This record gives sequence, structure tokens and C-alpha cells, in this order.
Amino acid sequence: MNRSATNRRRERWLWIALAAPGAIWLIVLFVVPFYAMLAVAGGSVNPFFETAIPTWNPLHWSSANLSAVWHNIAGSGAFIGPPALRTLIYTAAASAISLAIAYPVAYFVSRYAGRRKALFLVLLIAPFWVSYMMRMLAWIDLLQQGGFVNSAMSLVGLPGGTDWLGGKSITVILGLVYGYIPYLILVLYAGLDRIDTSLLEAARDLGLGRWRTFWRVTVPLSKPTIIAGAFITVLPMIGDYFTNQLLSAAPNTTMIGNAIEGQLLSPGQTGQGAVLALMLLVVLLIPMIYYAVSTARASLEFG
Amino acid sequence: MSGGNINLVSLIKRFADVTAVDDISLEIGAGEFFSLLGPSGCGKTTTLRLVAGFEAPTGGQILLDGVDVGHLAPNRRNVNTVFQSYALFPFLTVEQNVAFGMRYRSVPKSEVARSVGEALDLVQLSGYEKRRPNQLSGGQQQRVALARALVLRPAVLLLDEPLGALDAKLRRTLQVELNALQKQVGITFLYVTHDQEEALTMSDRLAVMNHGRIAQLGTPEQVYTEPADAYVADFLGVSNLMDASVEPGGGGGGACRLALGDFTLYAEGGQLDATGSVKVAIRPERIHLYPRESDGPNRMPGMVERLVFLGSTTQIFLRLAHGAALQTLIRNDGGGVPYSQGTPVSVHLPPDALRVLPDPGVSVAAIHDETLGDRVPDVTGAAPTGG
Amino acid sequence: MATGESLRALPGAPGSVTRRVRARGNPWRRPWALEGFTWLYILWSIVPVAIAILFSFNKGASQSTWQGFSTKWYVGAGVTSVLHNPSLHQAVVQTLKLSIITTLITVPLGVGFAIGIDRWRSRTSSGLSLVMIFSFVVPELLLAVALFMLVTQLFTFLPLGTTAEVAGLVVWNFSWPAIIVRARLVTIGKTYEEAAADLGASRLSAIRRVLLPMLMPAIFASAVLVFAGTVDDFVIVEQLSSTAGTQPMSVLIYSNVHGGLQGPALNALATIMLGFSLLVALIGFAAYRWMTRGERKQGASEALTSIAGM
Repeated sequence: MNRSATNRRRERWLWIALAAPGAIWLIVLFVVPFYAMLAVAGGSVNPFFETAIPTWNPLHWSSANLSAVWHNIAGSGAFIGPPALRTLIYTAAASAISLAIAYPVAYFVSRYAGRRKALFLVLLIAPFWVSYMMRMLAWIDLLQQGGFVNSAMSLVGLPGGTDWLGGKSITVILGLVYGYIPYLILVLYAGLDRIDTSLLEAARDLGLGRWRTFWRVTVPLSKPTIIAGAFITVLPMIGDYFTNQLLSAAPNTTMIGNAIEGQLLSPGQTGQGAVLALMLLVVLLIPMIYYAVSTARASLEFG
Repeated sequence: MSGGNINLVSLIKRFADVTAVDDISLEIGAGEFFSLLGPSGCGKTTTLRLVAGFEAPTGGQILLDGVDVGHLAPNRRNVNTVFQSYALFPFLTVEQNVAFGMRYRSVPKSEVARSVGEALDLVQLSGYEKRRPNQLSGGQQQRVALARALVLRPAVLLLDEPLGALDAKLRRTLQVELNALQKQVGITFLYVTHDQEEALTMSDRLAVMNHGRIAQLGTPEQVYTEPADAYVADFLGVSNLMDASVEPGGGGGGACRLALGDFTLYAEGGQLDATGSVKVAIRPERIHLYPRESDGPNRMPGMVERLVFLGSTTQIFLRLAHGAALQTLIRNDGGGVPYSQGTPVSVHLPPDALRVLPDPGVSVAAIHDETLGDRVPDVTGAAPTGG
Repeated sequence: MATGESLRALPGAPGSVTRRVRARGNPWRRPWALEGFTWLYILWSIVPVAIAILFSFNKGASQSTWQGFSTKWYVGAGVTSVLHNPSLHQAVVQTLKLSIITTLITVPLGVGFAIGIDRWRSRTSSGLSLVMIFSFVVPELLLAVALFMLVTQLFTFLPLGTTAEVAGLVVWNFSWPAIIVRARLVTIGKTYEEAAADLGASRLSAIRRVLLPMLMPAIFASAVLVFAGTVDDFVIVEQLSSTAGTQPMSVLIYSNVHGGLQGPALNALATIMLGFSLLVALIGFAAYRWMTRGERKQGASEALTSIAGM
């Protein structure tokens, strides 16, 4: 009995040793940085250089930065409100549009593509390998004043002088859609593909027409996939700041990410930037935990 | 080939809240073909894994040729396994698969090639060296798994339902081949299966397991004709279990007087000194049918309910006067079947074929359910897992 | 049967009642609308990029008027070409450097993590697994900011620039090998290692001779994804960069999009980035197919989705 317990313990060390390097890296470079962020948020400012001085002891954290940010959100002269609100609106709009486009495409490729499935998959995966930068660059080229979009519009008689890149919300929203939709399509495809066809056949066999089968069988079955896809899309979108910078660069389309960036780069406001970042993290924490736990549980079910 | 004696002494294995193996003791002689038989969940596979070394016993000992190997890692035991899924390494060729274990024995290269050739020859797969597992049929894969294990000349070969994934005809062919192979090689085979026909045909001896315990241990003939309890009787083929009660002052000597409903029967097999309510079993091939008017000892009136044509035999489902259902069969030897649905008959149950079994206190139907285990009806031909 | 009835119901058919049976009765018709929609999406998705690539070969300096074919933005002398302009040139080098180093570090770390966590069943391992999933799900900006603070306030021995960028990129991409290899491990199961042990292999030997070869496709797939992910990456690299000398292509494009370097040069840069990713993806795909040739029941579509990390 003892020998066997020793064997098991010896075995365990092998697994721990294998996991250790990665685990240590994770902790040191993922968990600790957030603690550093907390320390800066709860810290003070060096009056001469206007650089942040972090306070490492949680007992000594000051709430100065927190109140400053709160003031910026809720007090007079608040400037955090608009970007935050805009982030919600843009993300909601972009996610809705993305889902409306992605679902039919994923549905088609998973159900009806037949022998051309591989071809479609290649075409759908292709954007993955094109960097975000390039995809935005492509649209910047097209949306420029002398670019194709305006030329095409003037060809059909519409006004051809729109400044698409000068601070239009629609540009940013569509940019977000363009940027994040490939991930959504692939997640939806993977989930829809996994749906057992015999379930759908059973529904048809029992008398449901095409539409009813879709709404009453396919959609409920794909709900977990839609939720997973939503996470993969919405969470990164909320932290997005570069789409706006690339496609607009105007202050009336900024998102919360830009606000955080802005504060961090302003001397003396690093601490407040940290607070803002932490607030965003807290807001996102609940969906993040939900996603993480359900993924972990799902993998346990199979493992 | 020397050695290969396995001795399990009070072996216990507990997982969290489940006792999979509940105090098992048995001894398997060197060179024996021994089967562990039972439905899914009875503990047979766990027992096998304990012998192989993939699980550590919670209590008891596993002796291999007198040496306690219970806590040795699997790679240090002179025991090899053929897995249910074959577990052939898909990225290696047949040849490389078979040669895999030889790396740990510091065998020179020429020797390895020769041994591999011999092993493949043994399982009739010479010429398949360069193939990959996914290019082989199920039966061929199973043979490669066999060769891979046998090439290492273990003292014992463990087989975990190896024929489960094959279709019926192939299974029967391979059963014969496996048996011949075992006799040829002379190694102890410890074979796990849920298929009673398989166990009966192939084994020198077998153990019927139920809920982690051994229900009965013996030769196939012993276990089939002299089942120790209702469970074993029902597991090994049709048992025609019936409820009965022993009449006080019963036959005496070599017989036991039973009351089935209003009828009296004499039984000469099983637990003749039992009292009270018992179960009675008789194999279908021992039942004789006579016209209703005929008379004689140990006969009960009954009626033919259904006839099922099975090819070489016809199965006859009977209903006895007091309600019990029985099955018998007759050979289709060209003489036709003299009965049809509804024919009244006189059912003769010879005393020496009737076995008195202790009453486990549950209905016959409940016993049927238990011997089925949690097996899903085999519609796909795929083997159930677990046990 | 529907078809029979509809035939009889056609106007003019002998003995028919002129009932109109609508064409939507055919349950096996091709879904033209869906297919058309899909092609429209694909065009919308790919054509802008194709145009951008095309214009990187533009003879003129415009990004919207075609003036002839030329490779001057790549290799031409006397203009801001990738080959000759120092900042463009070193951006390419920096991207390659970052991607290769990050991949070389992340993959072994992630594979070891996946195997270790899967076998080491304890509360600590589940906790670590959760942390790993968090690193997958947290918005990149927050991680980048946190890393910036870490490097500037705590680990000041770690200089901003390539070292810090690599450190951050490894964390960011860690989940690729961790998740993909873990998923594959679950599929593989313990049986093969048990078979190896049964045949005489020690734990380590079983991992080396059996588990790792079987994991190779997943390891490769994750390496490809880490590489491509790093070529693309922008947020973390920007936060943790120091001088212009450590700017990879992605950051260079970002900072020059609204003026700065001449248009098609940026297109050329982006096309090169695309080239790297695509090349690695193709190599990975080919390697994946070759490695799974012994166990392939899947078609190309399954291989593709594996590479994409699903």
C-alpha cells in the first residue's frame, strides 16, 4: 500500500515538472502584472516628474486615483461617460451585425456546402492569416477621399465626396464588424457542424417544415455556440481602441480603450488610467469568469 | 514456456465510493486459458487492469509465479495486454508496432527483425510489415496487437474483450484461432468478456463475476450444467428459471420434492437440502415435449405460445399451466415441427436436469435485468465498454 | 408523395384539378439565397485585401489609382522600399525576430503545461487552467497595460523593447498551444500510453515515443497559430516597445497610416506580413496532413479547422 502511494507521488512530480515552466510564466507575467496595475491605481504621483509611484502594500493603497476617475465619470466635466456609452453602443451594434452576417454563412457552409466544404473553409479561414492591420489598411485605402468607395458611389449617382475616415460612427462600427467577424464565423461553423444531422432529420420526419425546424431545433441546439461566439467577439471588441484610431482618429468616435490609452499617456494621470483599466476589467470579469468556468467544465465533461 | 501462474489473494479495489473488485481470490495455473465473464460493471476489466498494473489494488495481493507484483509499475511486470481498442500506434508501421517493446530489452537489431517476423508469422500476417494500422481491417489490427504482445514472450497474456468490435462471423473464426494460438504458444491467457458463448467455447476454466465478486468458478461444463445460483444460471444461456417451494419431507436421498403451483416435481440437481422458496432451472435442450394425453412422472401440462425459426433449430416458447414461461428447442432435422401456436402439450422436465438454486429473493424478471447489466442492446455490433 | 401529387395538380395534366401547388414544396432544392449571401460575404471579406495587395505593386504613389505594375515598393532603390528604407527594413526583421523567438518559447511551455495540467489532477491544476483561460479571454489592451506597469515599476531590470515584447507575446499566445494540445490530449486518451507502459516503457519513455508523436499535429498547428498571431500582434508590442528600432511591421503601419510613409510602401509591408503568415500556414497545413497520414479518417476540412484552432 505504501509503495503504491510513493509511486503515485513520484509520478505526480513528473506532471508538475512539465507544467511548471508554463505555469510560472503565466503567474509572473499574467497574474503579477495585474497586481502591479492595482498598485499603480492605488498609488501616488511623483510631483516633479509626474510619473506614477506604485504602492505595493494593499494596506497603504490610496483612493485618490479612484475618486479622480469617479469624478471624471460622474462628476461635472466628466469625459469618461461618452466613450463608455459609445463603446456599449458600438459593440452592441457591431455584434448584432456580425451575428446577422455570420450565422447564415456558417449555417450554409456547415449544412449545405457538401463537397465544396473545404473550399469554403479555406476562404473563410483566409482572413485569419491576414493581419488586422492589413484588413484595416485595405479599407482605409478604399474609403479615402479619392478611393474606390467614393468613386463607385459617384458612378451610381450618389455623392462621391463623403469623408468616411473623418469621424463617422458607421465607419468604426463596420470596421469592428469587418475585423472580428472571421472569428465569429469559425466558432459558429464549428458549433453548427457538430449538430447531429439526425436530430434535424427526426424533426423533419415528425412533420416540421424547414423554417420551423430551424427555429425550434437548430437555433436552440446552437445556443451554446452563439453564446461562445458572442464572448469571443464582444470581449475583445470592448477593449478595442485601434480600430477607431485607424478608421477615424476623431474625438467623437472614441471608445473606452482610447480613454484608457489617453490617460495612461498623460503625465500624472497614469494612476487614473490604471483605475479605469481596472474598472473595465471588473465589468468584464463576470462574463470572463462565466466563460472560463463553462469552458473548463465543458472540457472536463469530455476529459 | 515456464511460469504464468497467477494467484489473486483477497483482491480489493475501491474507487472513491464504488467498490469495483470486492475481495476476489482465485488461482490460474500456468498455461491455462482462463476467462472472466460478466456483464458491464461487474469488475472483470478492473481485475484485468489490476493484474496488468494500470490500477493499484486497495487491498489484497497479486502474485505472479509466487511474486507479489501488486505495486510494480506495468512496465516492470512480465505481463502483456491486448486492449479492446487494440491501441496500435497509428504513426508507426505494423513492423514498428510489433518491435516497440523490444527497445526496452536491449535486443540486437537483427534479432528484433527476426522476432518480429516470427510473431507476424504466428498471427498469419507475414507480408504486412510496412502497412499502417489505418490500412488494416479490424481483425488484422487485432492480430497485430496480439503479435506485439506475444513477441515479448510474457508469462501471461491479458486480453480485454479483444473480439468485441468485430462482427459475429469474424468473431467466431477468431475465437477458434485464438484458442489454437494459445495452445501453440503455451502462455497463460487471462481473457475478459461479456459474451458467454465466447467464454464457454474458449476457456479451460472461467469465473462468472457479478458486482465485483466471483459468483462461480469452474470449467465451462461445470458452470453451464451446474450453476451455483440463479444469477449464474441465467447469465450462461437460457435457464428457464422458475419459482418453486420445497415440500417438507421431500424425496430424500438424491432427490428433492418441489411444488410448482399445484404440481409436484422431483429435482436431482443443485441444492437438494434447501428449504422454503427456491428457484429452479433447467436448460432448454433438456426439456421434452409429449402430446397432452401422455402421462408420466415430472410432467406438467402446458401450451405452445410461439415458434421461432433459428436456422438449425426451432425455438419453442411454452407456457406452463401454472403460469411459468419456458423455452425449449428442437433440431430442424427434416422431420418438421409437430407443434404450432396453441398446441397443448405435456412438458417433461427430467429430474436429473432440474437444478434447485437458492432464492435470491427477487423475481425472475429482476434476475434477467441483472444479468443484462447495463448493456445497451447490441444493435450496432459494437462492444459495450466497462466492466 | 408530394412530387406525384404536384404532377397531377399541374394545370393541363390529364385528369387534374387545376390547383396551384407552389414550387416551395421541393424539400431538396438548393439554398440559392444562402449560397449567394455566403459568396457576397466572401467577396466583401477578401476583395478589399486583394486590392490592397494589388496596389502594393502600383507604379505610382497612390493607393487608389492604378498606374502600372512595379515592384519598386519592395526592392526599388531611391524610394521608400522595404529593401532599402532602413526603418521599413528593420521592421520586417523585427517582426520575424519576434515571431520566431516567441514561437520557440511559447510552444514548448504551452505543450508541457497542457500535458502536465491534464495529468496532474488537483485543485491547483484546475486553478492554473482557469488562469490560462483568463489569459485567452482578457482584452489585449488590459494585459498590455498591466505588463507595461509591471515592466516599468517592478521588473525594471527587464528593458522595454524586444525582451519585454517577447515576454508579453508569450503570455498572450500561451493559450494557443495550451488549449489545442489539451483538446487533442483528451481525444487521444490514456490507452496508448498504457499500451506503451505495458510493453515496457517508463513514463518518460512513453511520453517521448508515443504521446509526443501523437501530439505532433496539434503542436504544429499551435505553432503555426502562435507565429501568425505574433506577426499580426499590435497592442502588446506597441505598449512594450521602446525606441523606433524595436518596432515591428504592425506598429509601423499603425503609426504611419495617417500620413508618414508613402502609401503603397505600407501596402507592401502589409503584404509581406501576409506572406509570412500564409507561408507558415501552408507549411503547417502540409506538415499536419503528412503527420496524420497514419490515422487520417478526416478530410481536408477537419484539418483546416484544427489549424484554425477550433
